[in-house]
Amino acid sequence: MKSNSIRSTRIVAKTTVYTVCIFLSLLSLFPFWVMFMNATRSTFEIQQNSIGLWPSKFLVSNWNVLTGKSFNPLVGFSNSMIISSGATLCAVYFSSLTAYALVAYSWKLRQPFFTFIMAVLMIPAQVSSIGFYQFMYRIHWTNNLLPLILPAIAAPAMVFFMRQYLLATLPLDIVDSARIDGSGEFYTFNRIVLPIMKPAIATQAIFTFVLHWNNFFLPLILLTNKDKYTMPIMVSLLRGDIYKTEYGSVYLGLSLTVLPLFVVYFLLAKHIIAGVALGALKE
Amino acid sequence: MHRKSISYAKYGYIFSIPFVLTFLVFSLYPLLYTVVIGFTDLRGIGVKELHFLAQPFENFKLILNNPSFRKALFNTGFIWICNFIPQLSIALLLTAWFTNRTYKVKAQGLFKVLIYMPNIITIATIAILFHTLFGYPKGPINDLFMMLGLIEKPINFHIQTGTARGVVAFVQFWIWYGNTMIVLIAGVLGINPTLFEAAEIDGATPRQIFFRITLPRLKTIILYVLVTSMIGGMQVFDMPKLFLLGGPDNATLTTSVFIYNQAFAGSYLFNRAAAASMVVFAIIAVLSVILFQILRDKDAALHRKWEKAEQRHRRAEAKEAAV
Amino acid sequence: MVRKIGFVVSLILLVCIGLPLFATGTTETAAAGPKVINLWSFTDEVPKMLDKYKELHPEFDYEIKTTIIATTDGAYQPALDQALIGGGADAPDIYCAESAFVLKYTQGDMANYAATYKELGIDVDNLLKKADIAQYTIDIGSNERGLVGLGYQATGGAFIYRRSIAKAVWGTDDPAVIKTKIGPGWDKFFEAAAALKAKGYGIVSGDGDVWHAVEGSSEKGWVVDGKLFIDPAREAFIDISKKLMDNGYHNDTRDWTDAWFADMKDANPKKVFGFFGPAWLINYVMAGNSGGTKPGEGTYGDWAVCEPPVGFFWGGTWVIANKNSPVKDAIAKVIEWITLDSSTTGLQYFWANGTLAGPGGTKDTVASGTVMKMSDGSLPFLGGQNMFDVFVPAGQFATGRNKHQYDETINIYWRDQVREYTGGNKSRAKTIEDFKQLVLDNLALPIK
Repeated sequence: MKSNSIRSTRIVAKTTVYTVCIFLSLLSLFPFWVMFMNATRSTFEIQQNSIGLWPSKFLVSNWNVLTGKSFNPLVGFSNSMIISSGATLCAVYFSSLTAYALVAYSWKLRQPFFTFIMAVLMIPAQVSSIGFYQFMYRIHWTNNLLPLILPAIAAPAMVFFMRQYLLATLPLDIVDSARIDGSGEFYTFNRIVLPIMKPAIATQAIFTFVLHWNNFFLPLILLTNKDKYTMPIMVSLLRGDIYKTEYGSVYLGLSLTVLPLFVVYFLLAKHIIAGVALGALKE
Repeated sequence: MHRKSISYAKYGYIFSIPFVLTFLVFSLYPLLYTVVIGFTDLRGIGVKELHFLAQPFENFKLILNNPSFRKALFNTGFIWICNFIPQLSIALLLTAWFTNRTYKVKAQGLFKVLIYMPNIITIATIAILFHTLFGYPKGPINDLFMMLGLIEKPINFHIQTGTARGVVAFVQFWIWYGNTMIVLIAGVLGINPTLFEAAEIDGATPRQIFFRITLPRLKTIILYVLVTSMIGGMQVFDMPKLFLLGGPDNATLTTSVFIYNQAFAGSYLFNRAAAASMVVFAIIAVLSVILFQILRDKDAALHRKWEKAEQRHRRAEAKEAAV
Repeated sequence: MVRKIGFVVSLILLVCIGLPLFATGTTETAAAGPKVINLWSFTDEVPKMLDKYKELHPEFDYEIKTTIIATTDGAYQPALDQALIGGGADAPDIYCAESAFVLKYTQGDMANYAATYKELGIDVDNLLKKADIAQYTIDIGSNERGLVGLGYQATGGAFIYRRSIAKAVWGTDDPAVIKTKIGPGWDKFFEAAAALKAKGYGIVSGDGDVWHAVEGSSEKGWVVDGKLFIDPAREAFIDISKKLMDNGYHNDTRDWTDAWFADMKDANPKKVFGFFGPAWLINYVMAGNSGGTKPGEGTYGDWAVCEPPVGFFWGGTWVIANKNSPVKDAIAKVIEWITLDSSTTGLQYFWANGTLAGPGGTKDTVASGTVMKMSDGSLPFLGGQNMFDVFVPAGQFATGRNKHQYDETINIYWRDQVREYTGGNKSRAKTIEDFKQLVLDNLALPIK
């Protein structure tokens, strides 16, 4: 009798677990599903019934309406690509280098420098945005992609992460034996240390890329030339189209911005999630 | 050998130069600049000259007495709480389920992938998507609720304080609970499994195991999640800005949206925006100090291990050299 | 795992390397021909005009680079301001400003960037006379340096109503009769609202419709002597709005939202009698949302215009040139063609007669009196009525006196607060107090 009741409570419990999990999964999917489907439906269809579970056949006409309103997704896409990949390269390379400096060498200011990095770890760029804007305005760097890329060289949080990773994985013997073989320090870092850091770099690269891809605040205040617009800025323009509500194209515009993220995410989902977990443990 | 290892110290400095330079130019200088602007009369567009105010703290006084700013602070906190409590609760619940050794939830990987997904999507897109989804009188959510019989007539989500804030808080929750869950699961997996085995042998129920063993050991991680979430919460911008522009009646005006509005969407009150930024900065700084303490404690442990290994290494080296 | 990531990363890198090449390729071609005009606008109206201009003048070989940002949510102004300040090759050469904020660019904070039409080499004095441009257009577009901006439209407003509903309620759809039913004055308007309600109709769609009439009919603007001022006519909007709401005289829609557009084609259960608006509202908004393209379809053809209960004007686009523009000669030609050419090949003639994109296009009232005399405003959408009969006299209500450079921002605050009041969330006094506070907090405008 007892084992029976335990079994039945377990069945109830398991049913609850699965129901909740399925519900939450649907909660993640539903908005995007509606978005993708509505991107293929006409404004009229959407106004009749705004939840379409299956695609319709107005993708092309929505595309034409969208691009007809000076919405050029290719420009936004390529700018976002340049910024995100540039920033990612800068961030992972120089953070690894700085972390290596913190781990492999004993220098007098090492500990103070590291304490400093920890202290500025969470200072967000946003609080200094007024000064940043005025600074960029004075040196005529507004409408330039560089102020959105170069600051990534100094990424305290990533330095911190990379340092923790190196502490856990880098055998100092390797560095020493490289020295004995006559390898220069810089060469050692590039050819021996960086490959060791590959897993850490890969996860950090993904997150940095996504972070910059999604960045909205700084591009919003810095970029006014539509040839320099990033994807999120283009998206923000979809909010207001005074003379007509072209819902199908709005959904299409939204879909275009997230499509690349979806592709990358579902290709790399496992690693991304492992990366989140790794980050949690390291920090 | 010994002589050589000393001479390498300079590389520590050399390799840190790019970081330090970039930090000075792109972080520290703008930060100090912002501080300075907070004490000046810099307002209006195209103005370049800075004049310090006769009463240096005038901007700060104005900002702290500014009802909109106070409301923004309140909103920011309120929206954060409304998002964080369910975020942590659901994340903990899922963590308990996914790490439960008797449930052995199948398709965990898939669930994690789907639940985490909103975290990587552009928030600007999500904001506008939700603006559209919650449309009135026709919109997917209204249609769905009507279909399910939850409501009789469409709700205008955009003009009521409660629903507007609710949607913003929900989106913040929805974006972040997957992340929190994965962090917490990683924390549980880091706990020594023999503890769970021992508890099971002692006949502890899953509930007891979770509250007596798992939860206490997650304390640091939860604290970490809490503080980082608060720091992030202080800066929420994309969602309230693009969802309803801080409205209705400033119900979703967060501090970041306030600062943006002061500086870029009206009379270009850069000085006041800078002062407001500094107030926000002060709050974040306090939170950062707490975070610093958490991380330092954890780091100290890791570092001790490393120092020991390094010492061993050097000793071996010295021995080798001696031989 | 690492290999898979490596693959994706290298794929991304490949794209990244490829795209900048592609991107630089395009900018290089743009740089090769320096003949670029940067045009900033908040609708596609002016961009389309430039297309037409190029078509009419094949020798005009400038490339037009258009940036369109909608004014909804106030996104246009900050972007335009920063583009002007930023300067350089990407700075706007021609930019458009709407009546709600044009003063900022002609007389206010940003006026320094505007070139006078004389600087551009346009023979302003003669052309103004010849074209007989509406005086308010000139007033709004002038500062102490001279004329810096002109509009191409005349935006005097009318009441645009449904013929079938008029017949059902008053037995006639004659504009001469209907104008005596809904006006003059708000009292008559509410009498009409009650009569309509008795038959199950709403008089307007939402409070936004009434707002533009109220705003345009007020004596003074939001700012008097550098201080916030609430004109009695504008303050009365609170009560008008509340009355409409409490009596269920409208569908409580918000202008420029789905529900508002829906009322133009009877898509809401309670049908709506009419809208307040200038000629452009008919053509650019209502016609496209009427659910039809010829009489008999949707509400198309079932509309008429008459004098509104209070005279007002709403909207209008002014065209301004950047004084730092390197292509002044070219933009002078374009601007003259848009704002001052009163011939049959000038923009305004096409605009008034709806022939910009071929015959049968949308008609509008224009700034030039000379052109208006030559044009015909009868529309199938209005059941054949000549709308100019109503809109031309309505032009007298258009004035620059009650405008201010921050109108757009202040209007948003005011209307949001009034909504709070009509929604029952606030008392009347608190509504006004909060409104003043918002203006003070965000624009640093003291209260008069």
